[in-house]
Amino acid sequence: MRYDYAALVQDGRVHGSLYVDPGVFHEEMERIFRRGWVFVGHESELPAPGDWVTRRVGLQPYLLTRDLDGGLHLLANRCAHRGTALCREERGNARHFQCIFHGWTFGLDGTLLGVTYPGGLERSKEALALDRAGQIDTYRGFIFANPAGGAGPLAEHLGPGGRYLIDRMCNLAPSGRIRLGPNWIGQRVDSNWKLWPESDNDGYHLNFLHVSLFRANRESQYNETMLAGETGHSSKAVDHGRGHFELDLKDSYPHELAWCNATPERLPDYRRAMVAAHGEARAHQLLLDGPPHGMIFPNLFLGEINVAMVEPIAPGVCAQYHTAMQLEGAGEAVNRRLLRLSEAAMGPASFLLADDAAAAERQQYGFGASRADLSDGGAAHTWVDLSRGQRREQVAADGVRVSLLSDETTNRGFWRHYRSVMEAGA
Amino acid sequence: MSGAKQGSQVGQAPPPAAVQVSETLRRELEAFLFLEARLADESRYAEWEALVTDDMHYWVPRGPADHDPAERLAYINDNRARLATRIRQLSTGHRWAQTPPSPMRRILGNIEVLEARDEAGPYTVAANFVLFEVAAQSTGELRTWPGRATYRLRRSDGRLRMAQKIVELVTSQLPQSSMAFLL
Repeated sequence: MRYDYAALVQDGRVHGSLYVDPGVFHEEMERIFRRGWVFVGHESELPAPGDWVTRRVGLQPYLLTRDLDGGLHLLANRCAHRGTALCREERGNARHFQCIFHGWTFGLDGTLLGVTYPGGLERSKEALALDRAGQIDTYRGFIFANPAGGAGPLAEHLGPGGRYLIDRMCNLAPSGRIRLGPNWIGQRVDSNWKLWPESDNDGYHLNFLHVSLFRANRESQYNETMLAGETGHSSKAVDHGRGHFELDLKDSYPHELAWCNATPERLPDYRRAMVAAHGEARAHQLLLDGPPHGMIFPNLFLGEINVAMVEPIAPGVCAQYHTAMQLEGAGEAVNRRLLRLSEAAMGPASFLLADDAAAAERQQYGFGASRADLSDGGAAHTWVDLSRGQRREQVAADGVRVSLLSDETTNRGFWRHYRSVMEAGA
Repeated sequence: MSGAKQGSQVGQAPPPAAVQVSETLRRELEAFLFLEARLADESRYAEWEALVTDDMHYWVPRGPADHDPAERLAYINDNRARLATRIRQLSTGHRWAQTPPSPMRRILGNIEVLEARDEAGPYTVAANFVLFEVAAQSTGELRTWPGRATYRLRRSDGRLRMAQKIVELVTSQLPQSSMAFLL
């Protein structure tokens, strides 16, 4: 069937079937995760020639590789002969990949290097290279790929908003470069993947869904965010367009390093390195403003000190993987601190995201089994209301929308872009 | 693992073989493990917390517990202060990932005493477990958590206390569902 995305995604409400219908999910894998730009990894995961990691992008298994000349490739993790997965480990270093089934070997760029018993080969080796993402590009160490190719330049996908979010994180490193933490932690959630971009950037739920953390721990970097009422926040919900949006918390921080629940006195080496790199005034501003809390469409969440990626698995199942940012040149004290903060906030046993998972799984339960078919006028139950604060949003000349922290501006930003991508793909 | 800190209580590979202890001591150690398991199963947070020492470390690593926990990200890596926050959060009644609490039962088996400096302790005890959980607060479905737990126990005022619990899940390399309960 053909889905009427313009009818299913309205301004301020979306139909619940979009989180449930397998046909919608299938079209998302094609239009968003194959034809669009997707975050696939970070250069710090592949520091040396021959390094590789396994990834899944839109249900497809891939190898993200660095070749001997330093080039990056996203290759299908699937032998071009009979489809056997080439690697089942998470990461490694190799000069080539050899299939366990018939011993074919492939280079780090996907070239078919060798075929056993080559006399019987009927096709050209060129025709039997590994499938390779049509486009791969990086921005400040973040690697994005577009499997189908033809999505236009990465810079256009990121736009000023996406670049600003990444810049804001990287600029906290004295060298201007971040590394990812030593490992990812995966959180499985029995909900549709789209509930994660929504929940990760929902400024409305903090005082309700996360009330237990506030009651248990009265001193935290979220004090203002948790304590203020509807209009008392200095933080804002911001939609940068192109599916990128954020909760901008910077004005809520009372002093430098409040975003990592510290003070300059506790991390003097880090402050000194920042001043040496940026000068006193700029270092002060960066340390005061802290990292972003925002989403880069469709799957990269820069959650303050965390880097996270969302992986769709099935209409009602997804995983979110997170790690901590590590600031190059900042010293061990701050980087260790970031690991511990990440453990507290993110993941299946954490003080925050375990509760978000409960909410997402209850939403999924609530959606039931509705189909993306509005022939009954959509009367049957499941509309999701995202209209909160629609009339008090400020729209700037560059199209950026800003509203109160508790307004659903971020969620509307996701869906506005989603609709344009899904309609354009029809 | 090169990153392991020698001599610290965390991050050491357990000794390979079980040690001989008296039958009385073995029964006492097993009884402690069963009590700890039952209080966790029944979400009796305060009573469970009363079993731990002031320097308790509660660690659920991703992958085997063969490294210094400070160097990597874990599912749970609680020092005593963070564990206290965890218990306070669960006790608010608004920890939605465990409200209502999951009905749970776990089976312990293959219990081995791996270290007993002398009959007075301290002790290292390990057990395999399978935990059955119904995610009553979210999907309502059964979740199964197989793994191995290693406990460091010592006596304080004559009573056994838990100074460390390491939980190595069989599935620890996979994305995990919510584990807001006491594992």
